[in-house]
Amino acid sequence: MAAADVRDMLDLPAEGQPRPHKKQKVTEKRPEGITRELFALLGERAPPIAINENRYKGRPKWMSKLRVRPWEMAPFTNGARSDGLVLRHWQRRQEPAKPPAPEGSEMDVDEKKEEGETKPLEQEYSFTKYNIKARVPRRYTDDEYNQRLRSDDWSRQETDYLMDLVEEYDLRWVVIADRYDYQSPDMDAEANANALVPAKRYRTMEQMKARYYFVAATMLAIEHPPSEMSETEFDLHEKMLKFDAERERARKELAALQLNRTSDEVREEGILLEELKRITASEQNFITDRRELYSRLEVPISVGNTTMYQSSAGLSQLLQTLLQADKSKKRRSLLGPDAAASSPAGQNVPARDSRADTPTNYPGGTTKKSAAAAAAAREAQQALKSLTPAEEAKYGVQHHERLTPSVQFRSDRAQKLTQAKSNVQTQKLAAALAELEIPLRLVMPTERVCKDFEKLIHSVNLLLDARKVSEKVESEIRVLEAAKEERERKEREAAGIAQGDESQTQGQGVKQEVDEATKLPAASGGDGEAIAAAPTAPAGGPAETPGQGTSQVETTAEAEGEKEKEPISGAAPAPAEGEKDQDASAAAESSNKRSASVLSNGSDKSPKRQKK
Amino acid sequence: MNPSIPPSAAEYGGDEVSAIVLDPGFSTTRAGFAGEDTPKSLIPSYYGKYSSDGQKKLIFGDDVFVTPRPGLSVHNPMGNDGIVEDWDMAERVWEYSFKSKLTGPKPGNPFQNGLNDIPDGELPSEMEGVETDEKPLADSPLLMTECGWNPTKAREKTIDIAMEKWGTPAFYLARTGVLAAFASGKASALVVDIGASNISVTPVHDGMVLKRGVQHSPLGGDYISSQIRALFKSNSPQPITITPHYLISSKTAVDAGQPPQVKYKSFPPERTPDASYRSLLEERTLSEFKECVVQVWPGPNKLSAISPNGVSNEEVARSSPGRPFEFPDGYNQVFGVDRYRVVESLFDAKAAIPDPESASPAPTQSQTVPELIKAALNGVDVDIRPHLLANVVVTGASSLLYGFTERLNQELIQSFPGPRVRISAAGHTSERRFGSWIGGSILASLGTFHQMWISKKEYDEHGPNIVEKRCK
Repeated sequence: MAAADVRDMLDLPAEGQPRPHKKQKVTEKRPEGITRELFALLGERAPPIAINENRYKGRPKWMSKLRVRPWEMAPFTNGARSDGLVLRHWQRRQEPAKPPAPEGSEMDVDEKKEEGETKPLEQEYSFTKYNIKARVPRRYTDDEYNQRLRSDDWSRQETDYLMDLVEEYDLRWVVIADRYDYQSPDMDAEANANALVPAKRYRTMEQMKARYYFVAATMLAIEHPPSEMSETEFDLHEKMLKFDAERERARKELAALQLNRTSDEVREEGILLEELKRITASEQNFITDRRELYSRLEVPISVGNTTMYQSSAGLSQLLQTLLQADKSKKRRSLLGPDAAASSPAGQNVPARDSRADTPTNYPGGTTKKSAAAAAAAREAQQALKSLTPAEEAKYGVQHHERLTPSVQFRSDRAQKLTQAKSNVQTQKLAAALAELEIPLRLVMPTERVCKDFEKLIHSVNLLLDARKVSEKVESEIRVLEAAKEERERKEREAAGIAQGDESQTQGQGVKQEVDEATKLPAASGGDGEAIAAAPTAPAGGPAETPGQGTSQVETTAEAEGEKEKEPISGAAPAPAEGEKDQDASAAAESSNKRSASVLSNGSDKSPKRQKK
Repeated sequence: MNPSIPPSAAEYGGDEVSAIVLDPGFSTTRAGFAGEDTPKSLIPSYYGKYSSDGQKKLIFGDDVFVTPRPGLSVHNPMGNDGIVEDWDMAERVWEYSFKSKLTGPKPGNPFQNGLNDIPDGELPSEMEGVETDEKPLADSPLLMTECGWNPTKAREKTIDIAMEKWGTPAFYLARTGVLAAFASGKASALVVDIGASNISVTPVHDGMVLKRGVQHSPLGGDYISSQIRALFKSNSPQPITITPHYLISSKTAVDAGQPPQVKYKSFPPERTPDASYRSLLEERTLSEFKECVVQVWPGPNKLSAISPNGVSNEEVARSSPGRPFEFPDGYNQVFGVDRYRVVESLFDAKAAIPDPESASPAPTQSQTVPELIKAALNGVDVDIRPHLLANVVVTGASSLLYGFTERLNQELIQSFPGPRVRISAAGHTSERRFGSWIGGSILASLGTFHQMWISKKEYDEHGPNIVEKRCK
């Protein structure tokens, strides 16, 4: 496509204006240190090595015009010191007056700024501001001490010593406890009198803290009574008053224990922590799951008016209706299988009855009702006890080992079975079912029907798989045979008729080989059908002859048929459901026939394969 | 950032007042200007003493090693525990350390500059001239270091010397542990200092030593030397004797393990230097040996222990290739597992090589590095122990032994499996050797530090006891 076409398509004017000149002239910059004449001689392609001598960048020219700003070794004093020690450091010399600016250069501005900075520096040493002491409470007077700070454990001298240390080390308790070394004068005398080695009292950090906080809190309270304290002060006061030395000591013991764990304990703790993390994570998951479930199952709470139950008449009416409901339920539970079949799990029925009773206890609590409830419970218990396996079968009572947590419809489950993983497979399944004249949605999804439906679907799946494999094998055989024919033809051409005998025998040999080759996939797969049967159905052994394979399928189909009959016989003793079930049974019968036809198709195929 | 422009003082908090930092150790004395990264002046703490023509003479600095003068004996003013014993000589050595290279005497008589022959008669008068000079530190504040267990008397004596003899306008005495922590940029740390005569463990909290946690033991570099000597005595092909270079006139190369082919220098008995001179020079060979050959078993577990796969660690160490070393007399040998054994007793006292003739007694388990660290931690509050363990600073020249920090790390992790153990050891050799000096250099060049100096005026007012109050 030419540019003109594009222009045409885009409705652009044809070659109107000249195209913008893209190539910009690349002018190489003349490196420093080469004269213009020499650079011109270089031509277009300059050598890759730069020919300029190495030298420092140097100062820009305008800088040389500036005046030198001298430094000097200047003495200074530190405001944080009391002794006026004079030390000397290098400093820009202070200009006595503003220098006459030669030009309005940048440096001049800089200079002014620096002067501004250095001026206060001269007045006060710039690092003085970092000299900060911790705030410690005002020292008590003798009166205050005697009135409020007396302690049996702490003498006045020792308290003073402690307060000094606290001030000196800025409340760094670790250091204070480390350096604490108080020798009581009177104690020394006493101890020296009694013992050779004076018993030294050790103060723990907690004791010191407790004493200090007590003193500090008291001093704070003296300064501002608690009623007048500001909020922060009050907090501080509270915090200091509430210091518990014993607890602190216990905490430190625990900390020491924690520090001196053995490696086994550390490892165990790591594992436990990991476990805990896992548990909390799964708990979180569980909670979210449950919340979701609740939000789905949430029944609107009845906010019905209870005033109608306040009068005795209302109450009796309620009782009547409840009893009515009770009775009808009881009757139904006695009816047995039909009622049981209607509920998802038959054994629930008595339980539900009792549950229906429980709310009645709240409004009335009359003896009659409770008696009725008790009777119902008893009945239910009897019913539970008296059921034999035969009866269980009869009433359709089932015992589930594990119930799936949510409510689901049996028909849904059956429906799900018809959905294969792939769309094609689903369609095939549907076709098979249609052939069997079984509706995709079961008409009467009783337990048994569902079970048999499941089995049916399973075997249809098996069949479909078998068919797929057989088709695959067939096509393989075809390809191989074609290859073989081709080869034979070639051989025949190559060998001519003269060497007929030898070549024929050879050809036969080849043929045999080819036969074996073709057999190999067939035999190993039990003619394909068994391939599918082997992994899915445990009954179908992998090493079966094709004939056996088909018969096996047929027998399973027969078994299917039998099973499909079963629901009918099972439904027979239930007169209430009989009519409905008959439809299902009819459907089942027809499906039986059809399944046979499907199978006949399958078995038709296998003889064909045998022929091959 | 433009590298040619220095950071402004407000940025890094520095304010240099040309203070001198003096870090006297047992083996070497370091001195230099605060604010620099290595000490300009590094001299041995040993000094030589000899007499010529009836005059007693002293040699300081590296000159001590150079000439085997007749009757030259070598001494150290420091005691084995890192505390000064001979104050007069300590003062002379320290003074030499900064005077020789930092403050220096003014250029004087060209006879004295070492380029000219000195007529013997003139020297004493020149010596007098030096002594009458003005005080050497008249315009430099001085920051000195001390070990964590320095007694009050020694501290007072130190400030006394600095103020009265050297005339410094301001003085401060800082502890090596604190400074080593500063050098690695930490205010709180557990400093493990492996020096020449001592190893010490110092817990530092907020820039202050926790005295109850300070631990030290004599298993320093000199102890390792004595272990190496013990190893040489019991060496298997033949016992090794160290002959310093000054005794060797010529040598020829020999194969490993063969007796040396060497011609010794002969000194007439009246011209031989003292035995201490020889042992000092032997020490130089030994430190070379430590640098080239000695290796710390990296762990985990002791060298004598059995490794998890059933082989004893000693076997594993034996299977690693040995290291050759040639002595000054040409004798050379490959050292296998022995090079691990000489330092194993720093961690496992039972592994010490017994040497009945050695001056240093056999170590006890409580003197080993891991035990010292445990004891130091037990001496401090439990709340800061985990923090200290997470900031273990290893310093001192002997900690440069190959594999030392790895082993220490292993030992600490085994002793304290719970808290996080983290060792910070400077990678650069000079930073490790001069750790406390560098810390002092940082400290003395900080603007905020200048309020801490003890000035001459304060010293005059309060007397030497002020050092106890100020340098906490």
